[in-house]
Amino acid sequence: MPVNDIFGTTIDLLGKTMDLRIKNQNRIAANLANAETPGYTPTTLSFKDELKEAVKDRAVRNATPPTTHTAHMPLRRTHNSIEEVQGRIVETPSRTAGKDGNGVELENEMGRMAENQIQYSATVQLLSKKFEGLKYAIKGGI
Amino acid sequence: MDFFDAMAVSSSAMTAERTRMNLISGNLANAGTTRTQEGGPYKRKDAVFSAVPVERSFSDTMKRLNSTPPGGVEISRVIEDTSPPRLQYDPTHPDADAQGYVAMPNVNFVEEMADMITASRAYEANITAAQASKSMALKTLELGR
Repeated sequence: MPVNDIFGTTIDLLGKTMDLRIKNQNRIAANLANAETPGYTPTTLSFKDELKEAVKDRAVRNATPPTTHTAHMPLRRTHNSIEEVQGRIVETPSRTAGKDGNGVELENEMGRMAENQIQYSATVQLLSKKFEGLKYAIKGGI
Repeated sequence: MDFFDAMAVSSSAMTAERTRMNLISGNLANAGTTRTQEGGPYKRKDAVFSAVPVERSFSDTMKRLNSTPPGGVEISRVIEDTSPPRLQYDPTHPDADAQGYVAMPNVNFVEEMADMITASRAYEANITAAQASKSMALKTLELGR
């Protein structure tokens, strides 16, 4: 049994989620930094759907091994769709932009930042627990 | 792009807001200044904020190494308010004109106070953002503990 498989999709997925959440945090920080810049349009990173698709795609590929004969060696997965998720940059201008054309709404950004932070913490915790479980199994339940 | 970028972005904004605060203090301090080096009354100063684009060319990045990070904000220039000076009738003033009017700086206290509140609130928001980035980074260190 290949050792790599003990990590499975969960760790890849959680790792990618953390990566994307950091990128989103960068976006939010930029929006807050430019809360006073005339003509600035806030942006956010949207990746939920893309990530969901990637997980589904991977599940489908794993379910149908590309071997046609029992003596064939299974082909290694050459590309990992979860790794390739980049997220989409979405502009989120306020509906009531001021005279200077700045579309940043401080309350919205703060809310989005809190959400992002909590989701990130949750992801870290899940990953932590996953590793703990693996460790427990390796030690034989001691 | 990592946590330190997010913190650098937040600190660029804090720097910009602090500079704006300095200009506001200068405006308030000089609200009664009738003599300046350029001659005439003091003119209200204001900062022009500009966003640093995220996608930049390689040479741009080289030139601006160690300066404002992409996504951050910087003060591109400081402008002088060109609105006319406030005329105050005071014939005994040494700077009074033939009609007895003194040209006072075009500083409006109410406007400056409102700007000051905006600047300090924006500063606070950026501190919160920097703290959030920091706590996320610290959370990552707990992995595998």
